[in-house]
Amino acid sequence: MSGTLRFLLASWKVNLASALEYRLSFFLLAGMMFVNNTIWLFFWYLFFARFPVVSGWEIGDVMLLWAVSAGGFGWASVLFGNFPRIATIVSSGQLDVYLSQPKPVLLNMLTSRMSVTGAGDFAFGLIVFLWAGDLTPRGCLLFACALLLAGVLFIGVMAIAGSLAFWIGNAEGIASQVFGGFISLTIYPTGIFRGAAKVILFTVVPAGFIGYMPIGLMREFDPGFAAAAFCAAAIFSACGALLFRVGLARYASGNAMTMRN
Amino acid sequence: MKLALEARALGKTFRVKEKRAGVRGSLRSLFAPEWKEKTAVDRIDLSVATGETVALLGPNGAGKSTTIKMLTGILHPTAGEATVAGLTPWRERTKLAYRIGTVFGQKSQLWYHLPPVDTFELISRVYELDRRDYAKRRDRLVERFELGPYLHTPVRKLSLGERMRCEIAASFLHRPQILFLDEPTIGLDVVVKERIREIIRERNREEETTVFLTSHDAGDVEELCSRAIVIHHGGVLVDRPVALLRRELLSSKTVTVTLADSEDPATAAEWFGRRAWAPLPEGVELAAIEGKRVRLSVDLALTDMNQLLASLTQAARIADLTVEDPTLEDTIKHIYGMEKTKGGVSP
Repeated sequence: MSGTLRFLLASWKVNLASALEYRLSFFLLAGMMFVNNTIWLFFWYLFFARFPVVSGWEIGDVMLLWAVSAGGFGWASVLFGNFPRIATIVSSGQLDVYLSQPKPVLLNMLTSRMSVTGAGDFAFGLIVFLWAGDLTPRGCLLFACALLLAGVLFIGVMAIAGSLAFWIGNAEGIASQVFGGFISLTIYPTGIFRGAAKVILFTVVPAGFIGYMPIGLMREFDPGFAAAAFCAAAIFSACGALLFRVGLARYASGNAMTMRN
Repeated sequence: MKLALEARALGKTFRVKEKRAGVRGSLRSLFAPEWKEKTAVDRIDLSVATGETVALLGPNGAGKSTTIKMLTGILHPTAGEATVAGLTPWRERTKLAYRIGTVFGQKSQLWYHLPPVDTFELISRVYELDRRDYAKRRDRLVERFELGPYLHTPVRKLSLGERMRCEIAASFLHRPQILFLDEPTIGLDVVVKERIREIIRERNREEETTVFLTSHDAGDVEELCSRAIVIHHGGVLVDRPVALLRRELLSSKTVTVTLADSEDPATAAEWFGRRAWAPLPEGVELAAIEGKRVRLSVDLALTDMNQLLASLTQAARIADLTVEDPTLEDTIKHIYGMEKTKGGVSP
């Protein structure tokens, strides 16, 4: 266990060093993602200036929704940067290097890349929380829990979508659709969804758990919701890991030239 | 004899979708796909002793890389069993990874934007090496592989030869019992190839590292390996010591004759047309003529070498004459030819 922890720390250090190799590119990419998120939030600001309350959601809640979604996605992308690329890595036969090393394959593969734009997302999430969040110790702790659950849900969902590549070969398109769709659904207030759409958001595509965090976890702590969100994160990440493990027996490798960067 | 690895009836088949050409073929494939079982490795038997250096040879698509990937736990076989360093690769992959090293010529384990020393550090964590032991080992390998001048240079700025030396050094960091190399010298120049072979030989000699490699380069096999296993269409065609393979399977020699300047007319082609035997003796074939140099392929089963040389020296003034064994590439070509004509070669 301590060996795996030391390996993870070394891997993150190497990723950071690799990302910082091009300092200007690092700051530009991270900065541009920050600006991109800010523009989205500005549109919401204009919307709420005209309709101050929508299904019980106010501008402060939407800001926290963005803080949780971008922040959760950000830390997951920084520490486990390959999670959106699982399908590509599997279908193009790039798992060989990870399979030849004595570390858990999924963990090794996920941690071998750091997303620079993810750093921008994470910084954006923190700054928005500092601006609109509850800065008491309790508020900070709940925000940290929300970030953790959001990040684990992102990784779990993409591990499931990406592992499909073991069965259907070129799953890059599907994984990309799931990725884009899932992110989009996490940045809209869950209050606007009704009926079957809401059921789907809290079961098949668990974006609703991320979207409802500002209300159910941070504004009015609901133990039932917190437990459900925790279980969803655990179930989706466990299913992703299991599916990936089972899928490894079907891995077909490939002959593409690959470099680690 | 202690075995480093053993495979019994090891096989791998892939299910491949077959599509006819054009848009119509694509549409047909969409609604009624046709699948075909492709045998990549056809139930091969292998055994390699500890400390042995073995080459797995064959043309593209023969199943070399698939075999190596099954033996390293990367691919799961569809048939058969294998034991590598006492473990079943695909069932005990993690344990096995501590005992083996892998070098894939086309798949780098070095971080592209970072210097090799950073990857070495990460690899030491991957294999959970003792810090002091790692530092000593790294320094030793840096010295032997002559990596000092570019240890701190980003990999993207290294030449292919420098990168491959770093790749191989990285694979030796955890003292593997068995080293698997898949096309380790692909794309390298002669000098770098020779250096890499020398280093691998040295590790084999000093640490009794078993070496199992695939290569298209006959030089890798001739200079590194004591035994060669030739596979074709997924099955083992020949399993022989390298020296025997050349001597036994090919009873031919290459005789190169350079005519003396005094010979007239100047070119060997004209000389052969005017004065040499017509036709050539049985078992002798004219392989090539370049200027005054003539290369003959001689089948010793049909021609006596002494008689041939005597006839040659009587027929013309000779400036130089060499008799050589055929290259391993020629030998392998010959084996494939035998399989085509006879429907198989028994080892």
